[in-house]
This record gives sequence, structure tokens and C-alpha cells, in this order.
Amino acid sequence: MAGIYLHIPFCKQKCRYCDFVSFCNRSDVAEAYMACLLKEIEMRGKELAGRTFDTVYFGGGTPSVVDPKYIYAAMRQIKKCFALSVRPEVTIEVNPGTVSEQKIATYKRAGINRFSVGLQTAIDAQLGELGRIHTVRDYLYCTSLLRGENFSADVMLGIKGQTQEDVKKTIEIAAGSGAKHISMYALQPEDGTPIYTDYLNGELPDGDEVAAFYDFGRALLKEKGYRRYEVSNFCKKGFESRHNLNYWRRGEYVGLGVSASSFFSGRRLLNTTDLDEYMKCILSGFYPVIDSEEVSAQDARFEFVMLGLRTAYGVSAAEYQKQFGSDWKQDFSAAYKRTRSYLEEEGDITRIKDEYLFVQNQILSEYAL
Amino acid sequence: MAKASRFLRNFCIIAHIDHGKSTIADRIMELTGQVSKRDMEEQLLDSMDIERERGITIKLTPVRMFYNALDGNEYEFNLIDTPGHVDFTYEVSRSLAACEGALVVVDATQGVEAQTLANVYLALENNLELVPVINKIDLASARIDETKAEIEEVIGLDASEAPCVSAKEGTNIRDILEAVVRCVPPPEGDTDDPLRALIFDSYYDNYKGVILFVRIKDGQVRVGDKIRTFLSERTYDVTEVGAFAPQMQPKGVLLAGEVGYIAASIKSIEDVEVGDTVTFADRPAAAPLPGYKKVQPVVFCGIYPLDGSKFGDLKEAILKLKLNDAALTFEPDNSVALGFGFRCGFLGLLHMEIVQERIEREFNLDIITTAPSVSYLVHKTNGDSFYVDNPSHLPPPAEIDYMEEPIVKAEIYSPPEYLGSIMELCQDKRGVYKNMTYLDERRVRLDYLLPLNEIVYDFFDELKSRTKGYASFDYELAGYQRSKLVKLDILLNGEVCDALSTIVHEDHAYRRGRMLAENLKDAIPRQLFEIPIQAAVGGKIIARETVKAVRKDVLAKCYGGDITRKKKLLEKQKEGKKRMRQVGTVEVPSEVFMEILKTNKDRK
Repeated sequence: MAGIYLHIPFCKQKCRYCDFVSFCNRSDVAEAYMACLLKEIEMRGKELAGRTFDTVYFGGGTPSVVDPKYIYAAMRQIKKCFALSVRPEVTIEVNPGTVSEQKIATYKRAGINRFSVGLQTAIDAQLGELGRIHTVRDYLYCTSLLRGENFSADVMLGIKGQTQEDVKKTIEIAAGSGAKHISMYALQPEDGTPIYTDYLNGELPDGDEVAAFYDFGRALLKEKGYRRYEVSNFCKKGFESRHNLNYWRRGEYVGLGVSASSFFSGRRLLNTTDLDEYMKCILSGFYPVIDSEEVSAQDARFEFVMLGLRTAYGVSAAEYQKQFGSDWKQDFSAAYKRTRSYLEEEGDITRIKDEYLFVQNQILSEYAL
Repeated sequence: MAKASRFLRNFCIIAHIDHGKSTIADRIMELTGQVSKRDMEEQLLDSMDIERERGITIKLTPVRMFYNALDGNEYEFNLIDTPGHVDFTYEVSRSLAACEGALVVVDATQGVEAQTLANVYLALENNLELVPVINKIDLASARIDETKAEIEEVIGLDASEAPCVSAKEGTNIRDILEAVVRCVPPPEGDTDDPLRALIFDSYYDNYKGVILFVRIKDGQVRVGDKIRTFLSERTYDVTEVGAFAPQMQPKGVLLAGEVGYIAASIKSIEDVEVGDTVTFADRPAAAPLPGYKKVQPVVFCGIYPLDGSKFGDLKEAILKLKLNDAALTFEPDNSVALGFGFRCGFLGLLHMEIVQERIEREFNLDIITTAPSVSYLVHKTNGDSFYVDNPSHLPPPAEIDYMEEPIVKAEIYSPPEYLGSIMELCQDKRGVYKNMTYLDERRVRLDYLLPLNEIVYDFFDELKSRTKGYASFDYELAGYQRSKLVKLDILLNGEVCDALSTIVHEDHAYRRGRMLAENLKDAIPRQLFEIPIQAAVGGKIIARETVKAVRKDVLAKCYGGDITRKKKLLEKQKEGKKRMRQVGTVEVPSEVFMEILKTNKDRK
């Protein structure tokens, strides 16, 4: 398994919680940026010739904010420069406030077969609170265009003023719109974002409330036929995100575009987060990499366990043995002993017990190096 | 017979905290040209960072100066700056033994304070000639005549010719120097006698070994002499002698009457004891100098390295501090929760605080300290009796017949408007009222008997906050008294945490237990399971709080770009755990052990 990630760093408006690399006043350079992206695809394609990729993911920013012709061109370039498997999963993140029938049609023509729709909440006032540019009606319109398609909806927990009733309504709308996949995650107030001030002022629901929303949402999603396959990800049977599963299985991925990160040949790379710097590098024929780190054997083992324990599937001792030639319970014997009561075993698989999945940092930090 | 020089004056300064002692010392040095004004760093003698920051003197510091007096002669002055705080009385008594006279500095706006009086008595015991000095005459509220009258009344010194100065402005400083020449006698002693030098301080220099600060009482010492001390068998070759200028300045010889230092490549810290006498190895004096009376520590606490592997470093640090702080006592200790460390004894709370701070600053060690305790006299039912200062060494209640605790005689000085509040505080701290005296219409003195155990807890802070800092306080030990004392244990998830145990009066146990449990509840981070915090006396639970289990701590998303970040976050979290102590199954941050020291403002 291997994946390709493309970062589209443009937005109409920055959400109040967002700390991703995105720009809302740089539409002037969209064309130049997309041209650079094509160049980077070509550069990496040559370097990684011989590998087969199974998934492509357009993330952002807001990939749906740029002219769909750029997405089409990027996909064409990918198909030209990379070897894709027979039925690749190709996902694009869309903001419900930016779609049109024509855009969706172009995406489909480009080969996109999965959509990740940022709903966040079904309460308009809370969408405003988050700085989202769309309403619940926009979401319903957007998903009506996606009827029959494989799409995912994002649900956010921990919004200012949110109640359990609101969570219920949001999940019902997401499920009712036909989403095959729902990502339900807790708002992370990052330092430097406007919402961080709300957090410091104690205006956001506290950890206990968010945990209660999560438990409630998890039960409701189960009732509606969505099973949890990772801490924040739920789906109808067979609709797991292959692209994301690849991350959690320590599969290789190549990240393209400003701020994108990659993992291949045992190294983790990070592209510059400076838009102009990115373009200058590409135009000069250099990789815009600002950080490149070889993952040590020790680190790799820890990553394997850390990522594996995030998933409902868990850590497979056989798979670990195959990759590292040792027994993971031996390699992490002290941590394993200390955390054993929070784990459950099934055959050679070890996973975090359901009730502890939402407090896993405490458990995982024991395994840290 | 060669007498010590008649142009030599050894003196020190006695003053209450903030009456301007160090500033006067600075002015004197300036006037004698010891330090040029340009090079002058404020409060030159307070060389430790802590001293400058807190504006107090902790260590005695000697300095030599030359003064051309009005009588036409040049005099050599050795000034020994001394601490003013009650906890450092021992340091004061050491410097007094090296002097023939003392300046008694009194703030013209404050009058004579308790601590000044205490040190004056010490000086009189040492047969020192006293020279009163009235400072801060530049302030509008200065009451020079009243202060003079007070000095005559309270101390019993003739103040009619006392120099009236402003150290801040540098006014009339020469009067002080003339008074020293006139009133302080030159030292006695014979330069031909066998060497007898009193060690009044010492410190460890990485290159020269232990440096001895000495007052030569008899004889003389120079480089190359073979010396020994009375308490140690070992002999040393003197490698350097010198005076304090105030930096150490080598000179050829130190003669009887002089104050200076001796370096002799002394590598073993344990070989030197302050108060001991240095003499010649081959021609020893017949008997040592009287030395100092051993001080008994009154406040105790456990000191542990934050990082358990740094025990060796902590030991080294404490040994080196001891060299320079004779009043500090210590012995190895072992706690289930905190590992290996030391049980240390101090002269008081400030002394304890200063030592803790010096370990952290001068030796760059992070430490955990346990709640301060005092030394209790335990009488067992089998007739044995012994002292216990560590709560975890207390025998089980069934084996204890009764216990006694140290009591202090406390003098509290305050403006009258705070009397009610102070009395209430003393009442609350099990104090027994003894006496009340109006010193003048602005100042009242209250005498109380108080258990020391209450004072080490939060008495100082309370007194300060209740009197807006106006009250001053001094105490001295006044023996032991039978008392109903119990050991208060703290249980975390059902297990006793030895480092959090304290000995308290029975009547206060419930209140203290509840307060502690509440404080700990806020200080212990939530973990994966619920943690009951219980306070117990003799196995009976008297208070209970609960730290709820954590319910959410996960990073919501973990996609391609998040993996490195998450890895780092977990590593950081693990690093943080290393700073935690394991009490049974519970992880306890090191700060928690200090939590027990905190006072609870709203405990009523």
C-alpha cells in the first residue's frame, strides 16, 4: 500500500480553529501554484518510479475552492507520472459552501471517487462560531449532488455552546444525507488560532463534556450502522478510508505541495510551509523539503505500535514480527506490563479496550522512547 | 613580646533587617577608598544572588580597609558584615568572636527592633565594645532624639555621641570611622606565641581546596608553614594567606589580631569544622580557642533529588554547603515515595528556604523538599524515650505512651491596631498569652508561648498578611511540653505516601487533613483511573477527596502530517512522567510534595 497526498492551500476564509497551512487572500497565485504542483508531481514521479500507489488525496486548505480544471490537470499529471493500482481510491475534501454541479462533474471526470465533506455541525449558529463559510442548507445541497457517491462527513465535538442534542442532530443529518463514512473528532484548540482565546477563556466545553459527546456519538453511530475503525473514524462496512488506513499501517506516502509531508524509503520529509518559498524551489528544480529525518529502527517500532493502537484493528504481533523480526511485547515489555489492564487481546492482535480509546495518550506515552 | 598592632580595629555591624547595614558597609568601603565609586556594585558584601535579590545578608563577609584618621595615623580596619535575621544568629555569633567591637545600627524611623536587641546581648556576652549608629536621618519621618532615647532606655548604651548618618546619601559616614578608632579597642595577642587562629567560616574553591576564614588570635602564619587543626589529625602546608579586599588578596603573613584567609590544599571537606582552631603542626599551642557552642537545629525537612539518579550530586552539594554553613545538619534518608535523599536540620524556616534555594542555584539541582517538621520527644509505653523529627519514623500509636513538642517564647512587635488580629492568630496556633507591653504609643510587644510546630507551618505568612507586614517577630526555644500529637497520613489510592505524612496536634488533625486532601486533589493530575485521596489518623479516615479518571486526552486527528507531531507529543509526555514519583499505582508530580506546605486561605 502507498498513497499520494496533494495540498491545496487556498481558502475563502480561514476557519477560527484552523492551523493548517492555508491562505485566503492569495487566489492570485493559484494558477502559478498549481503549475508548480504539476512540476513537483513530475519530479517525485521520476524519483519513485517502480512503486505502485493505491490512493490519492486532495486536502487543504479547501481543494474545492480552486477552479476544478486545476484538480483535473493535477489528476492527469498524477496518472502520467505515477503508477496507480487498478482501482485507486481518489478523495477530495470539499467545503459545502464552494460546490456546484459542474465542479462535482469535473471531479468525477478527473477520476475522483470519494468526497470528504466538511459539515462539522448541523447548527448554523455554531458554524458561524467556527468561522465556516457554509450553512447546513449548503451541506444538504452539496450532498444532494453527491447522491450515490462514496462520501464522508466531518462532525466536530467541543464547539462553543454545543449540546448533546446538537451532536445528535448533526449525526442524524450526516447519516440522513447518505454519508458512508463519518469522521467524528474533537476540536483541538491550537495555540495561535482565534479559537485558542475562547479556550483560554474557558468558553469551550471541557474535556469531560467532549468525552460525554463522544461516548454518546459513538453509540448513536453504532446504532445507525457505522462502525468505529479508528479513534475518530466510523464507516459503513467496507467504506474505510484506504488512504488514511495506509497512514496507520505505516505505509509509504508521498506528499506534494506546500507543507505536505512524506514517508518513504525509511525517511519522513516535510515541505516548506512558505508558499513563495515553495514555488521558488520548484521553479529552480529543487525539492522544497525543509526537514528530512531518517526513522530509526527504534522509532519505527514505536510508530508501528502508536499507530496500530489508534485503530480498532490493533497491533498484530505477526505483522510486527514480519516487519521488525522481533516480538513487540518483548521490545516494549515495561510499557506493555504497565498498560496491560487497558488492552485486550484476540489471537495475535492487541488493541486498546473500547472505553480507553479516547484516553490513549496516557497509554501510548508509556511506549514512547 | 611583640604585641598585635595598636592601629588595628576588628569590628562588625549589628542591625535589624532593612535598617541599612549593608549600605553602611558599602559607604565605609567607599570612604576608605577600598572600592572606587565607579566600580561599586550596590551592596558589595552581599555577593550571593539570593542576598541581593532578597535584600538580606545571609553570610558573614569580611573586608579589610585602611583609614587615615583625624589623629594623623593610618588604621587597618577589618569589617565583618553579618546577617540580621533571627535564623542566622549563629553566623552572627561566629563573627562576633572574631571582633573587638560592633556598630549597632538603628533606623531613625523604626527604633530598636527585637533582633537588634538579641544580637546586642550576644555581643555583650562576647565582651565587644558597642558603638551605636543612627541611620536614615535623611527620611522625613526620622526621629533622631527619640531614637537616641530609646537606645539608652532599651539597650542601655550612651547614645549622646552616636553618629547620625544617612548611608543612602553618604552623610556623616566619617563620624562612624572616627567612633571606631576612638571606641573599639585594638586586638590583644602576641605575634611570638604559637599560632592560634579561629576558623569563623570556610568555603570550597575548586582549585585551592577548602579556604579557611580566620581570625589570628596569637602568633602568625605564612606560606610554607605546616598547620593542623585541633579536631583533625591531618597536617597541611600553607599555600596562600591573605586579606579580604573584599576579594581575597594574598599577602606574606597574617599576624595576631588580623583577619584573613588561609589556603592549604585541604581537599577533604569533612576535615574542617567552623569554630575549630588552627595551630602549627610541629609547635602546637597548648589549648584550642573556646570556639562556638554547637547549635541545635530546630526545623527539619527531607531533601531529595528530583531526578533519583542525582543523589550523588545532591550529597556533594550538601557537603559543600555545610562547609560554608556550619549550622546545617544532615543525615541520609530513604523514602518509599521519593527514594534516597537527606533529612536536613535548620536553624529556622528562612534558613531552610535559603539552603533549598542555594542547592538549586549554586549546584543547579532540582530538588523536592518535604514539609518542615520539628523534633518531638517520644515516650514509649516500654519506658524508652527518644527524639523523632521524621513523621515516618514515629512508632505505631499503640506503642506511644505520650509525646512532647518544642515550645518557643515568642516576642511579637506590632502597631497597636493589629493586636486583635495577632491575638486571634496566636490563639489559633495554640499559643499561650504571657504578657503585653506598650513600648510607646506606636508599638506594642506581645509575649506568647507557642508550639514550634505551629510556627514552622504558616505562622510567618499569616502574621505578615494579618498585619500588612508591620509586625516583626522573634522567638527562642523554651523547652518541651507534653502535647496530644498524632501522625496524619495521606493515602493515595489506598496506599500511604510516606513523604506526605505530618505530625499535628489532635485538635487540628481534621482541619489539616481536609485541607491537604483538597489541595492534593487539585495538584494531582487526572489519570486513567479514579484516585481516592484520604487523610487518616491512626488508620481512621478523617477526610476523603477523589481525583476523577481522565476521560479525554487523545489527539483527534492523526494523518500523514500529524505522525511526527504526535510522536513528539508522546515523547514529551513521557519525559514529563519522569518528573513524577510513583506512589503505588499513582503518578504524583514532584510539586505535589511541596503542596503540603501551602496554606489554605479559606479553610474556615
